[in-house]
Amino acid sequence: MSPTKQNEEDPHVSDSDTDSTYEDSSAADDDDGDSFGSPSESESEPAAGDDSEPDEHGESDSSGLHQEESDSSEDEVAPRNTVGDVPLHWYDDEPHIGYDIKGKKIKKKDKLDKLGSFLANVDDSKNWRKVYDEYNDEEVELTKDEVKLVRRLLKNRAPHADFNPYPDYVDWFKWDGAKHPLSNAPEPKRRFIPSKWEAKKVVQYVRAIRKGLITFDKPKEEDGPYLLWEDDSGLTEKSNHLAYIPAPKQKLPGNEESYNPPLEYIPTQEEINSYQLMYEEDRPKFIPKRFTSMRSIPAYENAMKDCFERCLDLYLCPRVRKKRLNIDPESLKPKLPSRKELKPYPTSCYIEYKGHEDAVTSISVEPSGQWIASGSSDGTVRIWEVETGRCLRRWDVGEAVNCVAWNPQPDVHILAVSLGQDVLILNTHLGDDEEQKKIKELLSVDTSTPSDDSGNSATSVRWLQDDKHGGIKLKFFKTVTAVEWHRKGDYFSTVMPAGESRAVLIHHLSKKLTQKLPFKLHGLAVRSTFHPSRSIFFICTKQSVRVYDLLKRKFIKKLDTGLREASSIAVHPGGDNLIVGSKEGKLCWFDMDLSSKPYKTLKCHPKDINNVVYHRSYPLFASCSDDCNAYVFHGMVYSDLNQNPLIVPLEILRGHTSSDGRGILDCKFHPRQPWLFTAGADKLIKLYCH
Amino acid sequence: MVKAVKHYRPPGKKKEGNAAKFVTRSQALKQLQINLPLFRKLCILKGVTPREPKKKFKGTHQTYYHVKDVAFLHHEPLLEIHREIRVHERKIKKAEAKKNLERAKRLREKTPKPKIDRIIRQRYPRFVDALGELDDCLSMVHLFAALPAAESKKIDIECVHKCRRLAHEWQAFISRTHKLRKAFVSVKGIYYQAEVEGQKITWLTPHSLQQVVSDDVDVITMLNFLQLYEPLLGFVNFRLYHSINLKYPPILDPRLEALAADLYALSRYANANVNAIPSVVNSEASQVAESEQGDAKPKRDDIEHEKSELRLAQLQHQLPTNEPGALMQLVEEAASEEEEDQDTRECKNLFKDLKFFLSREVPRESLLFVIPAFGGIVSWEGEGAPFQESDQSITHQVCFSYYLLGLGDLLYLMMSTHLAIGFNFKIVDRDAQGHKFLSREYVQPQWVFDSVNARIILPTVDYMVGRIPPPHLSPFIDYEEEGAYIPDYAKTIKQLQAAARKEVLPLPGVGKEDLEDPQNILVEGIMDRAEANQAAQRKQKMMMLEQQYHNDLKKELQGVTNGKMDSNVDKQLSTGEIQTREESTANAQQKDDADDMGTLMMSRKKRKLLEAMKMSNERKQAKNDLIKQRKKKIDEAHKKS
Repeated sequence: MSPTKQNEEDPHVSDSDTDSTYEDSSAADDDDGDSFGSPSESESEPAAGDDSEPDEHGESDSSGLHQEESDSSEDEVAPRNTVGDVPLHWYDDEPHIGYDIKGKKIKKKDKLDKLGSFLANVDDSKNWRKVYDEYNDEEVELTKDEVKLVRRLLKNRAPHADFNPYPDYVDWFKWDGAKHPLSNAPEPKRRFIPSKWEAKKVVQYVRAIRKGLITFDKPKEEDGPYLLWEDDSGLTEKSNHLAYIPAPKQKLPGNEESYNPPLEYIPTQEEINSYQLMYEEDRPKFIPKRFTSMRSIPAYENAMKDCFERCLDLYLCPRVRKKRLNIDPESLKPKLPSRKELKPYPTSCYIEYKGHEDAVTSISVEPSGQWIASGSSDGTVRIWEVETGRCLRRWDVGEAVNCVAWNPQPDVHILAVSLGQDVLILNTHLGDDEEQKKIKELLSVDTSTPSDDSGNSATSVRWLQDDKHGGIKLKFFKTVTAVEWHRKGDYFSTVMPAGESRAVLIHHLSKKLTQKLPFKLHGLAVRSTFHPSRSIFFICTKQSVRVYDLLKRKFIKKLDTGLREASSIAVHPGGDNLIVGSKEGKLCWFDMDLSSKPYKTLKCHPKDINNVVYHRSYPLFASCSDDCNAYVFHGMVYSDLNQNPLIVPLEILRGHTSSDGRGILDCKFHPRQPWLFTAGADKLIKLYCH
Repeated sequence: MVKAVKHYRPPGKKKEGNAAKFVTRSQALKQLQINLPLFRKLCILKGVTPREPKKKFKGTHQTYYHVKDVAFLHHEPLLEIHREIRVHERKIKKAEAKKNLERAKRLREKTPKPKIDRIIRQRYPRFVDALGELDDCLSMVHLFAALPAAESKKIDIECVHKCRRLAHEWQAFISRTHKLRKAFVSVKGIYYQAEVEGQKITWLTPHSLQQVVSDDVDVITMLNFLQLYEPLLGFVNFRLYHSINLKYPPILDPRLEALAADLYALSRYANANVNAIPSVVNSEASQVAESEQGDAKPKRDDIEHEKSELRLAQLQHQLPTNEPGALMQLVEEAASEEEEDQDTRECKNLFKDLKFFLSREVPRESLLFVIPAFGGIVSWEGEGAPFQESDQSITHQVCFSYYLLGLGDLLYLMMSTHLAIGFNFKIVDRDAQGHKFLSREYVQPQWVFDSVNARIILPTVDYMVGRIPPPHLSPFIDYEEEGAYIPDYAKTIKQLQAAARKEVLPLPGVGKEDLEDPQNILVEGIMDRAEANQAAQRKQKMMMLEQQYHNDLKKELQGVTNGKMDSNVDKQLSTGEIQTREESTANAQQKDDADDMGTLMMSRKKRKLLEAMKMSNERKQAKNDLIKQRKKKIDEAHKKS
């Protein structure tokens, strides 16, 4: 169309003059055929335009087109206005448009209102030829010649009709009267005979073509598809390439992708809003929408992007075959024998022993199972009757008790209590007179005896008579955390973690002797225990369990727990298996015949395990922890060496409450019944029965 | 002593392990002496993907390729061709710079073109392999067929036309052989699933609307893929057309082609060729005749049969007598063509004897594809249609919900929206046409898709013109899977299917009320379970009391009755009732415990696996629950109103 052209040639055209250009060009169009000036036609065209947009036209009239005042400046009078080439909108608010040559202001002319100008335009047949000169603020009527000139310019021709851009060439040199030619040489012969070399060349080409050396560019033909898989013999030839993994197929669309999904698939507005709060990755990629008819489905804006992403997946993702397990998650769990078959085991709490005023740190059951002793942080040691819960006796020892241990001999009713840096051997005054006499004999210390003669006796321990409680007092140099009796009841061992080389000591009660272990201890000792039938001694350090033969005075083996910090140890009554509890809540079962590594590690407690115990006769073991739970397991050891021990978790015993971050501090089995005693930090001792 | 470097390798010793097997991408580029775009292109064409070595010796952020893959690319003739192309391009550039346009043009024509057929054969040694991986190819070709050709995006018009042609050829084949199985209208486009030679092929066609080429897409990569997919689909089409004895590429009726009814032209071509009518293409008269007289069909079939026999006889004549095997094969082929599997037969007969007429505003292309694929005869409003709307034998007319408006409404509509003008004309048309045909049913296009997916002819009541149709469900969901949410309409469809089947073979054993009222069964089931629960609770309570009694007895026997003890027991008894009330929570606790016990004995690996499985199951469950919850809300709102 013409508007662009016009813009090029006329830099002053304002941007509101599209309408006038339209008129102009339309006039030009119908004037092309005949010579300009059939008024009826030229009138009818703009009239049609007026009908459609009357108000626009009025505007266009005021800000009409102005042209050509600078181009043809030579043959026209100089412009009236002398403001020069300044933006005319500077004068928008002024009453004048500029100054004339004498410096007087040129007033703006009164403008007709829109209606008036419209009417004037309608009446005036030459209106289309009028152009408004903004610079001089006047209407200029173009003459016929000027219109023609404009039209020529629009067609990119020379402005003047009589200008010929391609005139015939006129030779300046006159040949007619010349007497001599420029060269007088005779025509050479070669101009008259055919060229030999050309002939040779032609022959050469012909031969080459015949031989097929020269081919001509034929119109190329597209070689279309053909029967590529004629025979499927390609399968037989073994390719030595790597195994090809076909790309996984795209997920098939579900109901939510439907154009008309069931109503329940469409998220509510709140849900859609909540998607905005999510992270970019978590946000659902596709939000279901509902359209009532197929016609109203819009184009999917991400079609291209989805396809592109699939392309990227196809060629940029490493392809790995992954086995997808399509199984019931329950089937992953190992088949355990039914718990009912493994009864009896403690299941529920029957008796609570109340009375302690602070956390009960340790308990011990009398070998006959009639009494239990408990030590607490409130500085008392108490003896309870198991079946009634009656407190039989109490000692105020005045210091927080770390550990109590009942002598395993049924006729020796004495109790070892560790408190602070002391260990007390107490007479419980149970049993008949004969037994009491024996005990009293046992518990009498010659004040002169402290035997410091032998090399491995620990001088740091002093055996003293304790008159207050009627027993023996052993004075140590560091805190004693654990006391453990030998099965015969004559020896007991104590553990002082801070005692360095004298951390674990063995005491001989009848001789009132203390012995240092003849071995070097590696690591910090935590617990120690005697083998239930042989003269083997276990020392549990933080990371490993060391096994010694006391008779042969020999180190036997080291068991690697793999735990960060072991806290307790218990030996199976058979003697070949032991469990170690740790502060990270793990329980290790060692089969010493099998390996020095744990046979099984159970992660059952979220918090520290405080104690682990075996039952003496039933195939039971238990662990208690700071999370206020005690686990009871079935731990069957078979006499057949080929058969591994069977471990089945049986019951979680709950009931204790946490106090000060500590839960159950100790647990012990009843010697004859499948009952479990637990001592909690909530000042209670509980008995769980089957 | 000098400390050895960590990965020190003595000279002469070769690399081992992952470092020997894999190279990073930049190393591969260096080895192949090509630039990255070309490398990518080669990878796309040859199907080489990165690998995941067990140990990423150059860091995790690198891409690794197998050395064998790189060697595979190294021996590729395409590499050489692309080098030649590069040289050629340089020549063209030079010629252009010297204004030697003649030479530039000649050179451009002579630019070497990479051939893909060998690569296709290499990647897909069997035809079935190619079909198995046709999904992406089809989706892409269909997408490009709908794209606007744009110089600035480097999508040229030829490519778009080619894609269009290939897509139509594919659709014509599927439609002709009745291999289409499912169709699903989604927001993203229309999904189709066909089964060809036992391979399920699913592809997506965009809605026939203007597609936008977004700027965040690398068109060159897509064009690279298209460079592979175009010939692949060409070869596949060739093979498929070959298998039904059609010439490929098909020659189409130019008149129909001009009307953009390519698909119809193709199906016509197929029909004409198979029926062995000599005047191949321009036989519209015969086509119309065929469609008009449905009863003439068996006769035609007879003729066809005769003809095929005749041809067999001829072939027998031509063949040398000492090749009976070849002949046998031929006969077998003919037989196999006639004998189709159950599924295909079902699909073929779904819309048998039904005649459809498409109104102007329905998506014509997809319906023209789907309806013949299921045995229907279809026509449309416009030029080149096989029969007119006034045809009395039309059974269904597919159109959209437009109420017939009064003239005043019409004017109002015209004034108010400019957009609706296209439709307004339609309404005017309908008014001018004057009447609805009583002999046919007016349905919305969704009816076709739903019927196809359900494989039965659904009642048209819900799909009547002017109604909002029932939800359109995805046919790709397996409702049999445990815990899947089943929308109401899926249940309805299932019942309808069962009813349809029952019509065909009435089952003797099953009572009617059982089938018709599944609610009953469900209710019974629920009742049963509730009863069982109650019984279990009662039993537990009894057991507890019994146990307490036993304990009492035992304690009495032991003879240590104590006041404290007694009170304890009393308390226990008194709290017994409360405890039974709290039984359920205790039960839950016990169940948790039992779960815990199981996990305690698992190895760490299995435990983690179990956790992951549980988590994913929970997520699935949560999704289902959300949908169920919404459904509940909707139902409640429905009830209230």
